[in-house]
Amino acid sequence: MKTWIQTTALSLAALGLAAPALADELTVYTALEEEEIAAYVEAAQAAMPDTEINVLRLSTGKLGARLLAEAGNPQADVIWGWAVSAMMDPQILEMLEPYEAKGADVLPETFRDADGKWFAPIGYMGAFCVNTARLEEKGLTMPTSWADLEDPAFEGEVLMPDPNSSGTGYLHVNAVLQSMGAEAGWAQLEAVDPNMAQYTSSGSKPCKSARVGEYTVGISLAFTAMQSIEEGYPLAMVFPEGGVGYELESSGLMASTDNPEGAKAFLDWTMSDEAIGLYQQYKALITVPGVDASEAAEKAGLPADISTILADIDFVKAAEDQTAVKDEWKEKFGR
Amino acid sequence: MSASETIRRPSRHRTFDSDRLLTAACVGLPLLGLILFFAYPMLIVFLRSITVDEGYGMGNYVQVLGSSGFWRATRHSLAMGGATTLLSVFLGFIIAQGLYRCAFPGKWLIRAVIVLPLLAPSLVQALGLIFLLGRNGVISRALGVEIEIYGFWGLLIANTLYALPQAVMIIGAALVLLDARTYEAADVMGASPWRQFRDLTLPSARFGILNAGFVCFIITITDFGNAAVIGGDYSVLATEIYSQVVGQRNFNMGAVVGIMLLLPTVIAYAIERQAMKRQQAGQTTGQVAYRPVFAPLRDLGMAGLSLLICAAIVAVIGIVVYASFVTLWPYNMSLSFKHYDITLAGGYSSLWMTILISLGAAVGGTIAVFLLGLGLRRLPQALAQPVQILAAMPAAVPGMVLGLAYILTFNSTATPLYLLYGSAALIGIVNFYHYHTQGFLTVMTGFRQLPPALEEAAGSLGAGLGRTARDVVAPFIAPMLVSVFFFLFMRSMVTLSAVVFLTTPQLSVAAVTIMRLDDAGLTSQAAAFSTCVMAVVCGAVLAMKMILALMQRRRG
Repeated sequence: MKTWIQTTALSLAALGLAAPALADELTVYTALEEEEIAAYVEAAQAAMPDTEINVLRLSTGKLGARLLAEAGNPQADVIWGWAVSAMMDPQILEMLEPYEAKGADVLPETFRDADGKWFAPIGYMGAFCVNTARLEEKGLTMPTSWADLEDPAFEGEVLMPDPNSSGTGYLHVNAVLQSMGAEAGWAQLEAVDPNMAQYTSSGSKPCKSARVGEYTVGISLAFTAMQSIEEGYPLAMVFPEGGVGYELESSGLMASTDNPEGAKAFLDWTMSDEAIGLYQQYKALITVPGVDASEAAEKAGLPADISTILADIDFVKAAEDQTAVKDEWKEKFGR
Repeated sequence: MSASETIRRPSRHRTFDSDRLLTAACVGLPLLGLILFFAYPMLIVFLRSITVDEGYGMGNYVQVLGSSGFWRATRHSLAMGGATTLLSVFLGFIIAQGLYRCAFPGKWLIRAVIVLPLLAPSLVQALGLIFLLGRNGVISRALGVEIEIYGFWGLLIANTLYALPQAVMIIGAALVLLDARTYEAADVMGASPWRQFRDLTLPSARFGILNAGFVCFIITITDFGNAAVIGGDYSVLATEIYSQVVGQRNFNMGAVVGIMLLLPTVIAYAIERQAMKRQQAGQTTGQVAYRPVFAPLRDLGMAGLSLLICAAIVAVIGIVVYASFVTLWPYNMSLSFKHYDITLAGGYSSLWMTILISLGAAVGGTIAVFLLGLGLRRLPQALAQPVQILAAMPAAVPGMVLGLAYILTFNSTATPLYLLYGSAALIGIVNFYHYHTQGFLTVMTGFRQLPPALEEAAGSLGAGLGRTARDVVAPFIAPMLVSVFFFLFMRSMVTLSAVVFLTTPQLSVAAVTIMRLDDAGLTSQAAAFSTCVMAVVCGAVLAMKMILALMQRRRG
């Protein structure tokens, strides 16, 4: 019994430390990036001083597992900035309550749920991470499209995430299929398959492997590419011609929340002018009409009109096709 | 004389009854823990695995068993488990033999280095192998040839590094207690050292070797971290679970694979038990500790081999520590402290809480496995057997499955256990049960060497179970308890897979901070934080060793 007395005493102490004096608490689950979370939460906390905002950050996949495991007794009040393809999972939608955040009505219909369960003012993009040092060493030419990666010279030099394990993997596969059409899309994926050194389980791993020179091309995320370039790695970020895959970062209200006022106030804040101003510093992809992602996009080397390079993605169809596409992918390329 | 007899008789009667009570408590309390914190959550996982659209059924199993991916992963897992087991037990035996049966100076160094993989966060081992053996790694560049580390061989090395210290711990528990007099007798009878090794050491270490093999096998088939980082396309069962649960939010299918993983474990354990039946337990009383004398050929060889293995471990971990001071590995090798300026992901704040949790898990866990081992010796075989199987099972559950099972179980307001959800205690508890198998088997291996006659003698002298445990058993088993304590402490400091699902906004642990830094692309900062964790663990272990030594001196 000693064991439990000790551990329980320990935890009670921890709980004691954790229990805040504020009556009004808000638990927010998010998959946004650490740096932006810190900036947004600081501003949101200042805007709603009576509510203590507690944030749990997990990667998209792990957050999904956690939400589903907790479904019997949900702990979160708000899901904030989470991949919309995951949000549209019927198991998740079931946990959400429709709420139209103030200001969300300006968003085009493709960026919010018809039933009002989620809205997405921001998003992130996929990109190729090309290690320029290794590219030169191997005498390869800079790839600018998926077709360029078919060149046998790239054999064993390309990595991409497995769509069955990683949302980023599905982002890319879906972009290829939707922008080229199913038949041509599958043919394209088959053509690059022989050059794929690995299909990884993490979405950022291909970029991290490419930046340290293990491989030449990592099909990954623009965020990781930009962050790596900033750190000084010999890396180029390439947006493949013919359509860049992207994902919306959606937010929604948990039906089970015991603090609906606070939760709604927080969701309202994510559509406030202040929040949008911050998005312009951190996000390359903003879906609010008339707001350009000037600073961040310029840093990313994006054209002024980002819509020219993005694939034309139908997120509802992407969510519907998900299981079939993943199964077919596993059939064709599973290793 | 007669007066003392009359006084003693009733008291002896009392001890008999209180002994039964104590035995029941010894087994009962740890068993209650095992049921609440392992069997019950796994039952819930099992229910999820048979949940289909409408009610229950075997549909999920049919679907999993019908997919070619599952069978490929199973083949890979079994091959990898087998290869890792052979290699780790072989190398582990060499090191344990060197430590306990040979005479050479500098054993403290080997002892210190061999545990390093236990206290290294999984990121460190993965990064170390890639920095060293990767296509753009130090060795590849030095040789001018690109080594292809990703896949079977890389995974084998990574898994062996992780399994090796655990093999040494368990095999060591069997070798440290061999009776010197047997070897003296063999010397007198003119048995060659090789013959002594074959006919004396190996048979008596068999229990430890089999237990170590069992542990190496199951921790390999359940490991996800190494497979994800260095396994390349070599899919294993743990990656299948990850892909189902995290990739596709398909809980029930993941649960199926999690339950299937228990099968090879139960089979392996049954085989092992069968193999053990032929060996009689324990030793004779009045053991004399073995003091190896220096034999140049044997000892220099063993020392050389052990040092070689240790050098490999130091290289893998050392290169990450070094890289954490490098400005931009591998492109700008100038040194800097900039990666130690960690502000994101909660900074250094999680470190102290993690130490508290780990101490709790180690103290509680060591006591629990000791009591369980002690009580099991006094239970009839028919009762002890099922408890033993249950106690040896937790390692067969991948950390991710255990973590999610804990959410399903303890986040339900249906039971008062809900109070634990979101608490540090639950993190300590999951850490202990995640590593229950290793602790339990180490203690059991030690108990195996304890002469039953010693306990019987203590009993017939009128010592109750409590007193026997304290004065006879505990001192004998102390070296194993110490290694179990440090093992649990070190693993709790760095283990991630289960804990990642149990942290809350207010309560995080060091391993989660490392993951978040790496997720944010700040791999060098993650390495720097890992270095701090390793330094803190080393410091804590040294401090505890000093306290132990002081206590022993005072007692002696």
